[in-house]
Amino acid sequence: MNKKGGDKIISVYWFAILFIVAGAVVYMMAVFYGNPQDVRDVEVNLLIDSVARCIVDIGVLKEEVLEKEFDLLNFCDLRFDAEDMYGWKNDQYFLRVKILDFETKGEIIKPLEEGNVNLEDFCGKGNKNPICVEKRFYSIYLAGEKFEVNIFGVVRKTEKNA
Amino acid sequence: MNKRGNILTENIIFIILNFIFLSILIVFIFSQTGSAARLEEQYAKQIALMIDASEPGMILTLDVERAIREAGDNYKKEFIFIEDNLVRVQLREKGGYTYSYFKDYNVNPYPKVGGKYVFTIKKNE
Repeated sequence: MNKKGGDKIISVYWFAILFIVAGAVVYMMAVFYGNPQDVRDVEVNLLIDSVARCIVDIGVLKEEVLEKEFDLLNFCDLRFDAEDMYGWKNDQYFLRVKILDFETKGEIIKPLEEGNVNLEDFCGKGNKNPICVEKRFYSIYLAGEKFEVNIFGVVRKTEKNA
Repeated sequence: MNKRGNILTENIIFIILNFIFLSILIVFIFSQTGSAARLEEQYAKQIALMIDASEPGMILTLDVERAIREAGDNYKKEFIFIEDNLVRVQLREKGGYTYSYFKDYNVNPYPKVGGKYVFTIKKNE
């Protein structure tokens, strides 16, 4: 009689353990797969790399970049339209390119800015905010002037990635 | 004799319940990892990033066999659409996932035999 009672208690415990395991698995799956995949880090790095490839040719800054009427988006074949969802307009990206003197760090031209400048205020405030990346590299110009090119990019798209 | 029969039946029910439980758990895990909605998102984002990393004149090939397998009866030859800087992947009758890319290129997707999709990248005129 006692043994039978003991077996029943074991099976009740066994099922309790199974349900705890199932609950843990479902919770982990929900946490892992319930959120969208975050690709913004890759996206913002691609954005900066494509701008770098576009304005610099084998380490030499292209002449057009220093022209007064330089249109960064048009020149680099970029378009900041995002899908018309969640109230998004053309406000999901931001890009800033600074051309600095390599020695003095003074600005050679006014920084080139495209997209939504307000996104910058949310940088470094966690995963539910825009992703920001800054890259800088050395470049030369026609007569051998040395420049530092500083590219800062931001991608928001929070609703689809975080 | 009867007591032995009872013990055996209880054990069999216990084992069967355990199997049912584990089967449900495994089916749940697989349904979550390879669902059509999940694949739509994965492919849309992958294609958008592929285009962002591309240059005009490139021809990109993507293996979409997993998507075709998942679409099953809903499978249509064309399920990747690119228009106006948006990639849309639709594996279900009602559904689909859209993701935008930032390159201003003219991208044309073509389904190819053997579970592949080809994308041609051209500069916008």
